[in-house]
Amino acid sequence: MLEVKLGDITFASPITVASGTYGYGNEVEGLAEVNRLGGIVTKSVTRQPREGNPLPRIAETPSGMLNSIGLANVGVELYCKEKLPFLNNLKTQVIVNIAGSSMKDYLETMEILEEANGNHIGYEINISCPNVKEGGMEFGVSCHMTEKLTKEMRKRTSKLLIMKLSPNVTSIEEIGMAAQDGGADAVSAINTVVGMGIDVKKKSVKLHTVFGGLSGPAIKPIALANVHKLYKVLSIPIMGLGGIASAEDVLEFILAGSHMVQIGTTNYINPNIGVDILQELEDYCTENGLKNILELKGQLKS
Amino acid sequence: MSLREISKVTGSREIAENTFESTLHAPQIAAMIKAGQFINILPSGDWPKVMRRPMSVSGTEGGNLSIIYKVVGDGTEYMRSWENGVEVDIIGPLGNYWEDFDKIPIIIGGGVGIAPIFFLHNTLKSKNLDHYMIMGSRTADEHFIEHDPDSKILMTTDDGSYGIKGNVVAAVDTIAEKQDLSDTKLFVCGPAPMMEAMKDYALDKNIECDIALETVMACGIGICQGCSMEYVPKEQKASSYREKYGLVCMDGPIFKANEIKTCYL
Repeated sequence: MLEVKLGDITFASPITVASGTYGYGNEVEGLAEVNRLGGIVTKSVTRQPREGNPLPRIAETPSGMLNSIGLANVGVELYCKEKLPFLNNLKTQVIVNIAGSSMKDYLETMEILEEANGNHIGYEINISCPNVKEGGMEFGVSCHMTEKLTKEMRKRTSKLLIMKLSPNVTSIEEIGMAAQDGGADAVSAINTVVGMGIDVKKKSVKLHTVFGGLSGPAIKPIALANVHKLYKVLSIPIMGLGGIASAEDVLEFILAGSHMVQIGTTNYINPNIGVDILQELEDYCTENGLKNILELKGQLKS
Repeated sequence: MSLREISKVTGSREIAENTFESTLHAPQIAAMIKAGQFINILPSGDWPKVMRRPMSVSGTEGGNLSIIYKVVGDGTEYMRSWENGVEVDIIGPLGNYWEDFDKIPIIIGGGVGIAPIFFLHNTLKSKNLDHYMIMGSRTADEHFIEHDPDSKILMTTDDGSYGIKGNVVAAVDTIAEKQDLSDTKLFVCGPAPMMEAMKDYALDKNIECDIALETVMACGIGICQGCSMEYVPKEQKASSYREKYGLVCMDGPIFKANEIKTCYL
């Protein structure tokens, strides 16, 4: 009833968890039933280890949070050594998120992952991190660069290739089309929305980098709009994300045109949210006579 | 390993000015948690924010966890009106804990940092380990423990209205009159200026000192990478991870004074 396919890959449900909100799966041991998720998207992996941005890096906002972590991660070599064995033992589908600062970085990271003995079924390519100068945004805001990078990555893998898009662009449709033309299997949308927090008492900004990425329920309407815009023009599937916190939110994204979804910030208050909502989604399908939840995809009444 | 437990509030009271103690029945976490560790809670079942609230634990008794907190934000504002029986979703135990008591511990707390110091005090008592405890505050109204120098329990107030007049450094100085500080180790948790002062004091006098840092936190389990602190720089590397910036939730909350660049987070 909830089973979905993306390319040749079958997922137990359309529910996955968003990059950066679930680590590499091992951190939530004892707190969540990881294997009952449709899939997990790992924290961004880069060619070299990264310390990330100076502090403060996070601030809570109404119905959301700002972050400017700066892609802190162990780097692809340690990822293969330390994180991959755990991920290989998971029964859920694993998608590795890759971030980079240059074409060379992205491609080398992918090549190393392709040669590693990983069971991951695909890659999500972060071309939309708003928090580091070299965080891939030069790719994510340019149709030409998006297509070029997608093409080069396509040459290097037969696994799922998903380009993660930014809402901080003039036309997300054009970037989505570029990813599609480059050979992506899907796009995920949206990454965080550029935002800023100010502390009046201190007369200072709340994040060291001044601007950060806004996530959480606050951005759900923005995410829905972007998913729907993409759905209107793309033939490849969309993984929708941005502020999902309930079964109803998942249904909204599917109605807007999402094929699958990712849960992000809500994992911080409930690491098992992606599993907790499964029953409600099944009940919805039963009550509405759906054999599969994706019968709902894009079915908005005009 | 940490786990998630739905606890029940079993008691709440104001123990000093703007200082509350609540007990939560959480037998699984209570059985595991050690002094210095923390829990990350949802203050209510329908908590409308996207972050849990990290809370220091002040002790355990019979399946109950005690927390001592000052009302400083929306979470603690909500918590002060907890009624018995209210369900509270907890993740814990989290972080590292106080350890290494070979030297005579001088444990120092203040403000929102009194809970882990109070827990440590009781842990040391249960191990029959001789130690000093210092609690600092601005005025007498904020204290809930008796100033008892004969039992090595020292209260300080900025205005001199109770105990020793001055900050916690003044109390350590009174200990130094009778005790060679090189035979002691400091354990500190409190407001940033207090921790910074004790860090400088310990480094200046070359005394061992562990400090429990506090900062804004989202996941509490090393995923979001938001609760960073900065280490004193060591060797410069072209690229590294968690060597320049540590995570308070995973690498701490307790760090050695000589590895902390600043306690102001």
